[in-house]
Amino acid sequence: MAATVTEPGLERVRRLETIWDEPHGVLGWLTTTDHKRIGLLYFFTTLVFFGAGGVEALLMRTQLSQANEKVLSPETYDQLMTMHGVTMIFLFVIPMTIGAFGNYLVPLMIGARDMAFPRMNALSYWLFLFSGVFIYVGLFMHAAPNAGWFNYVPLALKPYNPGRNIDFYALGLIFNSVSSTAAAINFIVTIFKLRAPGMSMNRMPLFIFAMLAVSLSLIFALPSLTTDLVFLELQRNAGFHFFDVAHGGSPLLWQHLFWLFGHPEVYIIILPAMGIATSIIPTFAKRKMVAFPLVALAELLVAFIGFGVWAHHMFATGLPTIQLVFFAAASMMVVIPSSIQIYAWTITVNLGRPDFRAPLMFIGGFIAFFVLGGLSGIMFAAIPFDQATTDTYFVVAHFHFIIFGAAVFPILGGMYYWFPKVTGRMYHEGVAKASFWLAFVGTALTFFPMHMLGLLGMTRRIYTYPNGMGWGAYNLSETIGAFILTAGLLMIFANLAYSRFRGPAAGPDPFGGGTLEWSTTSPPPHYNFPVIPVVRSAYPNWDREDREADRARLRRGELVFDEGHETPAATVVDAVPDEVLEMPSESPWPLVLSVCTAGLFVMLLVRHYVVAGVFALLALLVLAAWHWKEPEEE
Amino acid sequence: MTAAGRRFTPEFLQWFGLFGAALTWSAQLVLGFGVAVARCGAANAVLGVDVRAWQLSLLGVGVVLVVLAEAAALETLWETRAVQYDDAAPDGRRHFFAVAAVLGNLLFLVAIVLGGVAAVVHEPPCQPA
Amino acid sequence: MNSFAYRAEPRLARPNGWWGIAVFVATEATLFGTLVGTYFFLRFDSAKWPPPGVPEPKLTLPIVLTGVLVATSIPVQLSVRAASRGRLGAARAALLLAAVVQAGYLAMQLHLFVHDSHEFPPSGSAYSSIYFTMLGAHDLHVLVGILLSLFILLRTASGLTEYRLTGLRATAFYWHFVNALAIAVVLTQLSPRL
Repeated sequence: MAATVTEPGLERVRRLETIWDEPHGVLGWLTTTDHKRIGLLYFFTTLVFFGAGGVEALLMRTQLSQANEKVLSPETYDQLMTMHGVTMIFLFVIPMTIGAFGNYLVPLMIGARDMAFPRMNALSYWLFLFSGVFIYVGLFMHAAPNAGWFNYVPLALKPYNPGRNIDFYALGLIFNSVSSTAAAINFIVTIFKLRAPGMSMNRMPLFIFAMLAVSLSLIFALPSLTTDLVFLELQRNAGFHFFDVAHGGSPLLWQHLFWLFGHPEVYIIILPAMGIATSIIPTFAKRKMVAFPLVALAELLVAFIGFGVWAHHMFATGLPTIQLVFFAAASMMVVIPSSIQIYAWTITVNLGRPDFRAPLMFIGGFIAFFVLGGLSGIMFAAIPFDQATTDTYFVVAHFHFIIFGAAVFPILGGMYYWFPKVTGRMYHEGVAKASFWLAFVGTALTFFPMHMLGLLGMTRRIYTYPNGMGWGAYNLSETIGAFILTAGLLMIFANLAYSRFRGPAAGPDPFGGGTLEWSTTSPPPHYNFPVIPVVRSAYPNWDREDREADRARLRRGELVFDEGHETPAATVVDAVPDEVLEMPSESPWPLVLSVCTAGLFVMLLVRHYVVAGVFALLALLVLAAWHWKEPEEE
Repeated sequence: MTAAGRRFTPEFLQWFGLFGAALTWSAQLVLGFGVAVARCGAANAVLGVDVRAWQLSLLGVGVVLVVLAEAAALETLWETRAVQYDDAAPDGRRHFFAVAAVLGNLLFLVAIVLGGVAAVVHEPPCQPA
Repeated sequence: MNSFAYRAEPRLARPNGWWGIAVFVATEATLFGTLVGTYFFLRFDSAKWPPPGVPEPKLTLPIVLTGVLVATSIPVQLSVRAASRGRLGAARAALLLAAVVQAGYLAMQLHLFVHDSHEFPPSGSAYSSIYFTMLGAHDLHVLVGILLSLFILLRTASGLTEYRLTGLRATAFYWHFVNALAIAVVLTQLSPRL
C-alpha cells in the first residue's frame, strides 16, 4: 500500500497516525481505548484462566484415573469441579470469543475505526479481570464455590453451605455479568451504527451475524441469572425465602431461572465458534458460503429458539408432562438451524478448491465434534431417554464434545487464522498441522469413552468410584487422552509464541480472505483504515475494483476523516452514510470505575455494607467525571 | 395482491414476515407454559384453569399468525425475485430477509404445532413426566 | 457512489447514546420480567396468596402513587421537546419539576417499604420476599432515574450542547421505561385483589 500512496495521501496518513496514537508503555495499556489492544488484553488474560481451568481438569482426571484414588479429598474435588466449570465458561470461553476475537475483529470487519463506546469497552475488560480475580481469591482461601457450576439449591443454601464459598460464586458472577452486559451493549450499537457505507444488513459478514446473535442473547439471558443470584444471596444472608418449600418457596425456582440463562449461555458459547468457522471456510475453500442468507438466519435462529428450551435441563425433576412438551418441541426444532449450517459448511468446502491448512483442519475437527455432540444432544430432546441418562457421564460427554470439540477448536483454528493479521508474521504450518492432530486425538480419547461410561451407569460429579464397575479402563483412557490434549495445546502455544518473534513476515492478506480486516496492513494501524471502505457485496475484500477505488479516495481526501479522532456512523438497516462521530481516546476512568466496583463487591462479600455504600457512591462520582468531557463539536 | 400491497407497505411485509412467527411462538410458549404451571399448582383450586381451552386457543391463534407471517415473507420473496441476496438495499436487503424468513417461519410452525397438540391431547394434565 | 454526504443536521438514524440506553432498557425490562415471572410462579404454587398472617395488598394508595409517578412522563417529555427547540430554560424547569415529584414519590415509597417490612417481613414468607425484592428493585430504578435527571440539570446549567441533548433524550427514554415498569409492578403486586 505504501508504495502507491502519493504525497497528499502520505500527509493524511501521517495526520491519522498522530491523532490515533496512544501513549507507550504500561500507562498506555492501562488507559487504552483501542479495541485491538483491549482484544489483546482479553486474549492473554483468558489464556491464563484457560490454563487454570485446564489444571483443574487434569487434577480431576488424575483423581478419576483409577478406582478409589486418594489424590484429592471430596471437598477439594467439589471445589475444583465447580471452579473448572465456572472458569471455563465465564472466564475463558466467553471472554475469549467475545472479548478477544470479537473486540479485535468486529470494527475491522465492518470497516469502522473503533467500537461505539471505546471507554465502556475498556471498562468491560477491567471488570472481567477483577471479577475473575475475585472468584479465584475464593479458591486460594480454600473457600471456592463447591456446589457445581449450576449451584442447585438446597445444597447452595446456608444450612448445607455455611461458608463463603457460594457467596464468592454469587457475587463473583453478578460482578462478571456487568462486564458481559456492557460488552453486549457495545457490540449491538457498534454493529447497528458503525458499519461502512454500503454494508447494509444483507452484506454483513457471517461473523458479525454471529456476534450480533451472541450479544442479543447476553442481553436477554443474563438478567435471569442476576435475579437468581440476588435471590440466593438474599436467602443466604438476609433470611429471605425463595427456595424453601416450608415458607412457600420452591427449589425449582432456582432451576428455572438458572436454565433460562443457562441454555442461551450454551448458544452464546457456540455461536462465535460458528462465526469463526463461517469466516475460515470461504477463505480456504476459495468460494462464497453456500446459502449465505440461510446461514445468517441460522445463527440468529439458534440464539432465539435457544431461549425456549430451558426446561429440557429439568426433564427428570418430576414436572408434569404438559409443562415439558413445549420444551421438547422447541429442543427438536433448535437442531435444524445448526444442521443447516453444517450442510452449508460442508457443501461449500466440497464445491470449492479447499486448501487444508491448519485453520481449515481445525474447522474440520470442529465439524466432526459438533456433529457427534449435536447427535447426543438431540437424543436428550426425547424425554424418556433424557430421564435415563440425566446426571450420568453421557451428559458430560455431550457437553464436552460441544464445548471443547465444537467451541474451542474454532478458537484454536481462529488463533492460527488471524495470527498473521495481529502480529504481521506467519506461524509454522507443519507444526500447526501436527498440533491439530495431537489436539484432535487427545480430545476424542478424553471425551468419547464418556458416552460408554454414562450408558454403563457412571454418575456425574463423583470424586471416586469403586472397583468392579467396569469403569476403570475407560477412565484411565480418558486421563491419558487429557494429557495428549494438553500436549497438543502446548504445541499450539509454543508455535504461536515462537512465530511471534521468529516467524516470516506475512503481508496484509496471506490467505486471500474476503472480509475487510484483510484489506488493511498486518497488524492494522491504530486507526484501522486510512480510508473508510465502501462496500458493495458480502465479500468486500474480493471486490478488487472497490478496494482500488478506496486507494484513489485517499489521494482525494474522501472518506479519510482525518480532522479529529473520527469514525463515520450510518443508518441501522441499510448503512446509508449519516454523521461523523468524534470518538473518545485514552482515559483512566474505566480502570478507576472497575476498582470502585471491585471494592463494592468485596465489601458485599465480607458484609461491610456501609463501606460497600461508600464504594457505590465513589462509582457514581466516577461515572459523572467520565461523562463530564464531551466530544468536540463543529 | 395489489390491494394488499397498498395496505401493507413492502417494509411492513418484510418485518412482519421476519419477526411475526418468532414472536408468535414466543408468546405461545410463555403463555402455554404459564397456563400449564397455573393448572398444576396448588392455586388451581382457586383459579380453576381450563387448560385445554387455553392450549387449543393458543394453538389456533398461533397457527393463523404464523401462516400470515409466512404469506408476508413469500410475498416479499416474490416481489424481489429478480435480485441477489447481497445486492444493494432496499431490494437486496428485502430479498435477503425474505429468504431467511420463509424458512424460519416453517420451523416456528412445526414448533407451535408439536407443542400445542401435545399440550391439548395430554390427559391427565398434571401427571409427572 | 460518487460522493458521501456525511451531514450533522438533521441526522437520519438515532444517536449511539440513544441506542445504548435502548439496549440497556431491554436488559432491565427482562430483569423485571424474571421478577414478575417469579411472583406468579410462587403464587401458582400456593393454595393461599398472600399466605395466612400476611395482609392483602392495599389498593388505593399504590394506584394513586403510581399514577403520580407515571404522570411525570409528561413534564419529562415536554423537557425534551423544549430542549430540541433550543428553549433550555423551559426544558430545565420541566425536568426539575418532574424530579421533585419523583423524589417525593421515592420518599413515600421508602416510608411505606420500612413500615410494611415491619408488618410482614421478608423473612416470614416467599410472598413477602418477592414483594419486597420487586419493590426494592423498582425503587432502585427510580433512584437511578432521579440521579440521571440531576446530572443532566447540573450539566445543562452551563448551556445546551448536542451531547447534553442526547443525554436528556436518553434520560427521558429511561424515565418512560421506569414509569411503564411501575405500572407492571403495581399490577403484579395488586393482582390478588384484582
